[in-house]
Amino acid sequence: MSKYLDKSIEELHKLLKSKKIKPIDLVEEAFDRIEKNKDLNCFITLNKEEALKKAKELENLEVDNLFFGIPIAIKDNICTEGLRTTCASKILENFVPIYNATVIDKINEKHMIIVGKTNMDEFAMGSCSKTSYFKAPHNPWNFDKITGGSSGGSAACVSGRLVPLALGSDTGGSIRQPSSHCGIVGMKPTYGRVSRYGLVAFASSMDQIGPMTRNVLENAELLNILCGKDPKDLTSTDKKEEDFTRFIGENIKGMKIAVPNYFVSDIVSSEVRDKFNEIVKLLKDKGCSVDYIDIDYIENAVTLYQILAMGEASGNLARFDGVKYGYSYENPKDLEELYTKTRQIGFGDEVKRRIMVGSYILSGENANVYYDKAMGVRDDIKKSFEKAFKKYDFIIGPTTTTEAYDINEEFNDPSKSFLDDILVIPVNMAGLPGLSLPMGFTNNHLPVGLHIIGNFFEEAKMYKLASFIEKELKLNLDPRGGKDE
Amino acid sequence: MNNYKTTVGIEVHAELKTKTKMFSNSANHYGKMANTCTNVIDLGYPGTLPTVNEEAIHLGLRAALVLNCKINKHMHFDRKNYFYPDNPKNYQITQNRTPIGVDGYVLIDTENGKKKIRIHDIHIEEDTCKSIHSDKSSLLDFNRAGVPLVEIVTEADMNSAEEAVKYLEKLRELLLYADVSDCKIEEGSMRCDCNVSVSKTDKLNTKVEVKNIGSISNVGVAIKYEEERQIALYEKNETFKEQTRRFDDKTMSTILMRVKETGNDYRYFPEPDIPFIDLTDEYIEETRKNLPMSAEERRNIYLDAGISKVNVEKIIQNRTVSDYLNKFIGKINLVIASNLLLGDVAAYLNKYEMKLEDTKLTDEKFETVVKYLDSGKINSKIFKDIIEDIMENEESIDEILENHNIKEMGEDELIEIINNVLENNTKSVEDYKNGNERAIKFLMGQIMKETKGNANPVLVTTKLEEMLNK
Repeated sequence: MSKYLDKSIEELHKLLKSKKIKPIDLVEEAFDRIEKNKDLNCFITLNKEEALKKAKELENLEVDNLFFGIPIAIKDNICTEGLRTTCASKILENFVPIYNATVIDKINEKHMIIVGKTNMDEFAMGSCSKTSYFKAPHNPWNFDKITGGSSGGSAACVSGRLVPLALGSDTGGSIRQPSSHCGIVGMKPTYGRVSRYGLVAFASSMDQIGPMTRNVLENAELLNILCGKDPKDLTSTDKKEEDFTRFIGENIKGMKIAVPNYFVSDIVSSEVRDKFNEIVKLLKDKGCSVDYIDIDYIENAVTLYQILAMGEASGNLARFDGVKYGYSYENPKDLEELYTKTRQIGFGDEVKRRIMVGSYILSGENANVYYDKAMGVRDDIKKSFEKAFKKYDFIIGPTTTTEAYDINEEFNDPSKSFLDDILVIPVNMAGLPGLSLPMGFTNNHLPVGLHIIGNFFEEAKMYKLASFIEKELKLNLDPRGGKDE
Repeated sequence: MNNYKTTVGIEVHAELKTKTKMFSNSANHYGKMANTCTNVIDLGYPGTLPTVNEEAIHLGLRAALVLNCKINKHMHFDRKNYFYPDNPKNYQITQNRTPIGVDGYVLIDTENGKKKIRIHDIHIEEDTCKSIHSDKSSLLDFNRAGVPLVEIVTEADMNSAEEAVKYLEKLRELLLYADVSDCKIEEGSMRCDCNVSVSKTDKLNTKVEVKNIGSISNVGVAIKYEEERQIALYEKNETFKEQTRRFDDKTMSTILMRVKETGNDYRYFPEPDIPFIDLTDEYIEETRKNLPMSAEERRNIYLDAGISKVNVEKIIQNRTVSDYLNKFIGKINLVIASNLLLGDVAAYLNKYEMKLEDTKLTDEKFETVVKYLDSGKINSKIFKDIIEDIMENEESIDEILENHNIKEMGEDELIEIINNVLENNTKSVEDYKNGNERAIKFLMGQIMKETKGNANPVLVTTKLEEMLNK
């Protein structure tokens, strides 16, 4: 079997353009790799038949853009017309949308080929992908480790080189945290940068779709085609079209970087902190200034997230009631039983827990005590970040506090799972863009990520810094370690 | 029994006359085949998002303005969470914290003069599905899901069934004439829920909500029924819990639906899918300036023109007639014009079950015929003879008159007829000259008979008087 899929997108584009290869070569290779790595459990649904058919059809078309004929994997909470979209939940086990998410339309316009829908935490609720109704995916770097989550399947299939590109979604770190654990590049764009139409909502004011890729350049290239104002999503922003790759390769000398003290406090393992400190040293060596600063309220971000995201989720997930679509409890004795049994059987524990917490938080007087107050503090966090960005180009820190933990580790304390996202959640509270980039390996040879936070709509600038560091580090990010499959 | 005071507050839901739904682009049409005006957004499918219908915001603003409300210029939507099959997302997008209008009022006429019914707020929201229940199952029609509504909530300012009815009639008139809603209660585009309580003191007693009332007059019936029912209970020293009842139009009574155990917990929170909406001062003023002419303004114009009070109310009852009449303000005699529209024209339309716009009556023809009637060139009898032609033929009024061989009599011919009549009625001529004014009427009648109605009555009168006084 050929190894085209180890090549860069630009190389593949040249080969396709010069007719040295055909899209079907890439699709067949992708399914071959997926098949050989099915133990990783990256996918919930494969789109093999359709993908092969589409690859064949593309042979009659001109190779008109960089992504023409390139295979891509889609997180299973993004609606794909005619292709099952489960959100890794029993309640949507047989749900086949009759419409595409806006990002899927954009991908189809570029003639990319969707190979399948990736595994994830149920309704994106979790940070290890273990809440999936279809069992957790495994980390390509170490089968016994978690992928992180909730976009665990997307991270693992890119990391394992099964597919060059994937889409994830990030409500409280769900793109960046698994990207860190799996050693890939993951971008959560500014809230409003990418249309949410067709993304099954978890917490509407935080959800954002983003690219997950093997390297920085391909990440920027993929974001180029995803973003834009969408009349179907009122929260999407009208911004001038731009090329996110345009600063890549430029020097970073003189850039002002801030490190929040909280991000290097003892909540972070010493091993991860050491890796991060090496990056700080590198940046200083290359002429950047690095200051340690305090950002007010970021230590409250997880608490706010629990209140606001759960509240919104309790509303967003109310529609799954067995009346219109999805799993429906059979022969209920009355309406009440249809509702309670459908939801009791259809949802997993974590989802039910979050719906209950969210409902409680919004009930009666609690709405004022918790929800309104949290919205106020959320504004304050945003203002703290805005203040910092008046002075600094970037805010950086580690993406995760530790390396990926054992997949069999039981987590009895549900609140602990939120602590996995303690460093990435503040970004969602403020709506800022955040990117995770591999910054090295732990002693167990597990990748850990650097978290770059940019100012609103400054993704292009973030790619410049990320790409510079990537080039300096020259990490071998192929978990197969150069071995033959 | 009479020492009980009734207190009534009313919530009205009125569907807005928009082309599309509140939060999606599917059509807003009443009476289409079930589930043909709907899409994935109305159905609450996962991943779908609402968009905001600007026309609905515009109509909501108009309604808030005619209800004299203060406008929330920086407003947003909220989610109202409750589970029910007719509520596709199991939350309704509505306005809780920032209703488009607050603190308004409606003036009604009572025996003691004008009374102000305060409007607590008016907010914009989406309608639910229509549920159709049968013995074995329930069906849902999503055509109604997502239709834009305004909900108008009064303070508990009404103290009788009559006042409630007056308020609703007035509200309906305001919304109709602002082109906000067609307010058809029978089609469900206007729905009223009443909160009724009775008390011997100023302290309000337990209130009862009555839903499902199918007409404004039945609101009166329902309130009267509740007054009596509640007073009877208090007289027996019985108390009751806050409850929701429905009006049953077969028995003309109210029937218990549910007792309210605790206050409803709708877990409201700001709708994150829809950003804040800013209504600028310019936009609000522009909207106010361009409001269609209100019923009150129209009344004044018609009364000033000399139309009878009875006829004015008849015109106001019929918006189409009023709009039609308004095209001719200042151009023709509105009394004659309204008499035609309410009389012969209405009769014609009724007879053939037609609408004015389906006929061949052009503005020009109407103007001409009213002018002819006004100047006496034709009389109402002639109009009756030619109305079918006017309504059905493309020809001008002059052409129609010619076809019917109706032409104004020449002066010579008229003088000859007058002479003949005077010669044959010397007794009446004598009477007139002796001061009997009535004699002239008789002579007029004789002349008109001879002319077969073809003479201009104004001319006849002048000529006759001239010749009698010679």
